[in-house]
Amino acid sequence: MTATKTIVREHEADLVVQLAESVADGVVALTLADPSGDPLPPWTPGAHIDLMLDGDLIRQYSLCGSPGRPESWRIGVLRAPDSRGGSERVHAALTSGTKVRVRGPRNHFPLVSSPRYRFVAGGIGITPILPMIAEAHASGAEWTLLYGGRERPSMAFTDELAGYGDRVTIAPQDETGMLDLGSVLATPEPDTLVYCCGPEGLLAAVEKLCEGWPPGALHLERFAAKPQEQAPGAESGFELVLERSGLTLHVPPERTVLQVIRDAGVAVLASCMEGVCGTCETEVVDGDVDHRDSILNEDERASNEVMMVCVSRCRSARLTLDL
Amino acid sequence: MTRTHPHNCWYALATSEEVGREPLGRRALGTGLVLFRTDDGVAVALEDRCAHRPYPLSRGWLDGDTIVSGYSGFVYDASGMCVRVPTQDEVPPGARVRAFPVHNDGVFVWAWLGDPALAPLRPPAALPWLRDPGWVTIGDVWETAADLALLHENFADITHVAVVDPFIAPPVLRDSPPPLEVEVTETTVSFSRTYTAAPVAGWHAELAGLDPESRHVQRERGAFVSPGLWVDSWDVAVDQGPGAPRELTFRFTHAVTPVAPGRTRHAWRVSRNFAGGEQASNILLPIFAGYYRRVQSILETMQGVLDAEGPRREVNVSADAAALQVRKIIRNMVADETGTPVRRGTRPRPGRRAGVATVPAD
Repeated sequence: MTATKTIVREHEADLVVQLAESVADGVVALTLADPSGDPLPPWTPGAHIDLMLDGDLIRQYSLCGSPGRPESWRIGVLRAPDSRGGSERVHAALTSGTKVRVRGPRNHFPLVSSPRYRFVAGGIGITPILPMIAEAHASGAEWTLLYGGRERPSMAFTDELAGYGDRVTIAPQDETGMLDLGSVLATPEPDTLVYCCGPEGLLAAVEKLCEGWPPGALHLERFAAKPQEQAPGAESGFELVLERSGLTLHVPPERTVLQVIRDAGVAVLASCMEGVCGTCETEVVDGDVDHRDSILNEDERASNEVMMVCVSRCRSARLTLDL
Repeated sequence: MTRTHPHNCWYALATSEEVGREPLGRRALGTGLVLFRTDDGVAVALEDRCAHRPYPLSRGWLDGDTIVSGYSGFVYDASGMCVRVPTQDEVPPGARVRAFPVHNDGVFVWAWLGDPALAPLRPPAALPWLRDPGWVTIGDVWETAADLALLHENFADITHVAVVDPFIAPPVLRDSPPPLEVEVTETTVSFSRTYTAAPVAGWHAELAGLDPESRHVQRERGAFVSPGLWVDSWDVAVDQGPGAPRELTFRFTHAVTPVAPGRTRHAWRVSRNFAGGEQASNILLPIFAGYYRRVQSILETMQGVLDAEGPRREVNVSADAAALQVRKIIRNMVADETGTPVRRGTRPRPGRRAGVATVPAD
């Protein structure tokens, strides 16, 4: 008997851009659909997809339409001139009628049920928040949104938010100055979840303000990898045991756990290679994991149940994974 | 006891024909529901418990578009509002029973027992082959004394069929299986395997009019569509003369509904796009019912072991990849809708989360 080979991969499809419309300065909203008209896979608020652009360029965008309309997905893309070129490519190439390869959806920013929410969005970080608000509102939750941006014309989807009245505070920096996070977050509230998406500066400020909130209250989504402190002392590598495969391997300092797993011919999903997308989440059997990703919260890290093998490593001499 | 089943999901409660102008009592997720149709034929699902005393409304009767309690005589409309009581003119303000969102696809009546506001945001899957005249369908329904999770894990890996029911099993299942391709999205898992050309089972060849020795490429496909629905297929490639090769397909639909912890309602349908006709159906029904009864008995035995000894760390093999993805999705769904901390791992770790608050059981 030979072993069964198993390939686990994410859903991929070639979708057509039904509509590409400018929704704010530098922001285009794309409506994507299956060319056959078939419904797209279901998703829930906070989910994102990969756009697989030419030349191995993969960029992640939150779904910002309605999960109740499976005939299409909507994403919002900010043209970021200093980026590695993904958003420029999207703006230039993805016009109405063009096709694009898409992977996903996946969700590492799920909306957890709660009677009360404090949403904070910065700039294009409004995209995952939009379907969250729709759902929280429908469920009768008490919620507010603080939405900051540089200037009003750069802030997308303000028209869609107008219907929610004074639950939404639109705060363009050139009109109202720095976002007044303290007004929303300075005092921890019971039975309340905080959801924040935006640039790193905003996330760091929100993280700091929420230190006094109950564990698990704060939910963040990052679009770029969190700056990592260098691990103290040089690592000399560690032993890697793949329990289900019955393999014992060595991870040298210059190679990632993922590379060593793949070199051994064991299938594992991966996508971003920088610890932000969570695709390569793998269950840990044993070992002191050195978490270097930007996805797991402190509780999840402490539980030592899973790790992102594309970036995270091991502090102990041996790491055992459920692979 | 911790809740283990998602409530924000469409679950099949009855067939479309079962729901009519007589109240029908059903249980799902530990809740009693009464199903009926209004005069216009619209299916309604209400909580099966009169607001006055704990007597099921399904023991009462319909009066136009209202349902009358067979004990108190309280009358409820299709939205669950109490509209009349026999002993006083004033209807007790606010007296009502829960009404559940309903989806009737003409085959099953599905109900949504979670947050009703979310039902329109989670469209139910379409099952067109169950009504398409190009397909012929047989099936049955029963309750299995096993938890929903055991049924899902059974559907996620059919390599057991060769062990459980050698008669029904395609001969290719006796050999080492070809690579398994598993595809995941946020809330769904699908898988497929393509087998190199080989004979089909004897009963299958006879039914399809194939030479029992002839060899056919076969493909197995399965999809976890939601916690309430699996759809699988077995495709047999045939080359019947000058026309393009076509596929003879069995499509298996499993609507599974948690009745209570350790009890699951299992409605199964076997559809085929070949060998239509009643005679073929009469041959197939006992073959498939026999197999599904064996599975039922095995899952009930497994549940008995779990009840007696508790869960234990299990040895998984790579063929379990789809089942592990399904576990993860269900666990995340429950965590998100109950507000309990997300347990990201799928491995049973008894005792590790002892400090975590739990929510009421199903």
